[in-house]
Amino acid sequence: MILLLRQTAAVFVDAYRELNAKKLFWITLALSGLIVLVFAGVGFDDDGVSFLIWDLGFIPIAADVLSPEIFYKIIFTTFGIGIWLTWIATVLALVSTAQMVPDFVASGTVELWLVRPMSRVRLLATKYLAGLLFVAMQVLAFSGASFFVIGFRGGAWEPGIFLAVPIVVLFFSYLFCIQTLAGLITKSTIASLLTTLLFWFALFLLNTTDIALLQFKLVPEVRQEVIQARIDRQEENTLVLIRSDWREAGVEDWETRVPTQDEYDEKNPLIAPNREELEELLATPNTVAVWHTGIFIAKSLLPKTSETIELLNRNLLSSNELEQLAETFRDDEESDAREPAPNWSDQQIMEESSRRSQIEIRNRSIWWVAGTSVGFEIFVLMLALVIFARRDF
Amino acid sequence: MTTASTSPAADAALAVSGVSKVFGRFRKKVYALRGVDMTVARGSVFGLLGPNGAGKSTLVKVLLTIITPKSCSGTMLGAPVGHKPTLGRIGYLPEHHRFPPYLKGKQALDHFAALSGVARTDRRQRVGETLELVGMSEWADHKVGGYSKGMRQRLGIAQALMNDPELVILDEPTDGVDPVGRRDIRKVVERIASEGKTVFLNSHLLGELELVCDRVAIMVKGRVAAQGTLDELTAPDRAYEIRLADDEMPPEQVKTMLPQDAKIEGSVIRLASDDPTLAQPVLRELLSNGRTIQSARPVRPSLEDLFMRVVGDDSGPGGSRSEGAGK
Repeated sequence: MILLLRQTAAVFVDAYRELNAKKLFWITLALSGLIVLVFAGVGFDDDGVSFLIWDLGFIPIAADVLSPEIFYKIIFTTFGIGIWLTWIATVLALVSTAQMVPDFVASGTVELWLVRPMSRVRLLATKYLAGLLFVAMQVLAFSGASFFVIGFRGGAWEPGIFLAVPIVVLFFSYLFCIQTLAGLITKSTIASLLTTLLFWFALFLLNTTDIALLQFKLVPEVRQEVIQARIDRQEENTLVLIRSDWREAGVEDWETRVPTQDEYDEKNPLIAPNREELEELLATPNTVAVWHTGIFIAKSLLPKTSETIELLNRNLLSSNELEQLAETFRDDEESDAREPAPNWSDQQIMEESSRRSQIEIRNRSIWWVAGTSVGFEIFVLMLALVIFARRDF
Repeated sequence: MTTASTSPAADAALAVSGVSKVFGRFRKKVYALRGVDMTVARGSVFGLLGPNGAGKSTLVKVLLTIITPKSCSGTMLGAPVGHKPTLGRIGYLPEHHRFPPYLKGKQALDHFAALSGVARTDRRQRVGETLELVGMSEWADHKVGGYSKGMRQRLGIAQALMNDPELVILDEPTDGVDPVGRRDIRKVVERIASEGKTVFLNSHLLGELELVCDRVAIMVKGRVAAQGTLDELTAPDRAYEIRLADDEMPPEQVKTMLPQDAKIEGSVIRLASDDPTLAQPVLRELLSNGRTIQSARPVRPSLEDLFMRVVGDDSGPGGSRSEGAGK
């Protein structure tokens, strides 16, 4: 056990020294510091948003409609995590760590590592975990500084901010496992970096396709509801006219009798085309749904980078806070736009489909988001471990 | 593939048999090792030599689990070859090794010693000792990336000694080192041996091995062609050489008294034994016949002579493309 701890500590200390020697590590850390300073410079009160001494009046929100706590959390998750850490800093981290595995397995170096009383599997697994140190340290520094900014500026001392550390590290590990495998196979820094970036781009395309197809899949569903609402309203209005006719004609149960479909259609010729449209819609197979199912299955097998980062939002921003945010940006006219109305335009149908798709994506289980992604990562790592354990150097 | 031996050689530092290794598959097979048998006694300095591509480094890598053999049975320090915990008792200097350039000399030693399981307090002490031993104390706080080839080689040897190993395997330890450095490294090897450690030297620099090794093995094309002490290996070629003055020839009386295996080449008489007592009657007869003895000395072939005899014309690259070709 002592031997295991000693060797593990040695691998981690070495990883730290390697990072410490890289300029890019310190450049990234300095940029993180700069971003936190900019973050701290953003003011938010009843008058609106400001930056240092400048009033940013063009941003139409103020503390009377949105709490400063939510405002700063949103800035942190959207810009700090969503853009800086998961895009720019991740690219810098991939560039910084791309050399790690090819250098490790290079002839002349790997022998020095392999002739130790340590199994190859444990050696590579420890190296892999140590490689995540770059991102862990960057995110920890960024989250720590942001914690104080949100505390002092937003008045909320939110320890949940530090969830960014495991979540962003988890996100990065999806890419890093590919980089490790590619580095092991190709022994080339450039090849492993390019492979990882291509893989990341493929995941991005898959995610974009998933969102788009999900939205289009929901369009017929919303359209059906709109047409149904239109038919319901038309029948409601027509019922008044039919019953008026029945009363004048002396029909006994004119008040309780329900007209047949033919009676509705005879009285209001506009209902039939809507009903036909609805029947046609119901009869038309939703091919987009089939395609989306395929994409969803493929996505289930692969890492879900965007949704993993979204887990932070789920934890940092409660449903009530998100509701408050949505209310802030929603126009008064749109305030009751959740229930499909008979007169909805195509644009409104698309917007509702988009809203529902976002809800569906947000409601995807943590198991599906993180569990299956980690499953993929474990598969790739196992592959790398088997290759490393069996290879002659 | 690797099994422990129960033979008497099990108490040797290294006793392996039937070590074979094939690289590649199908038609691209290269037979790097073809059933190597080898025994290295504890406390000895053992030299492994052979032409480039003979399989020396492959054999060392098999012993140290860097390469998986096709077959290998035997023990190293009493444990089956491939037993990972035993590697903590072995020091190894790889050929063409590369230390991480961002580490300082003492950090590199500390790091690899920690991987070998050396405790922190011991590491601190050993860093100073080993750097002192290889003459690198002044460079302890310099980054390895700025070291010369010779300095890196010295640091590599220090690294191999950090875990106070029972068996030290040095693969081309003087590669890229100047003559002064070679002498220093030789002294280091002698010092290690004097501490009772077993030293396994892998080199193609015959002069170095001859000076320090108790036993040698010569590998040719993946096989051990000869193995033993230098005395044992050179015994068949030892002789006693009597050289007469330039224009003098041995008289007929001397020719008739010479043993059958003696040779006469011009003014040189070569007896097939280096025993000086056997040469005395011949010397007396030559002197009594008025011949001038220019020199009379026992002749022992050098390691280079032995090497050339064993390797002969068969010194091309070791691994052959097919099993049949090598047989």
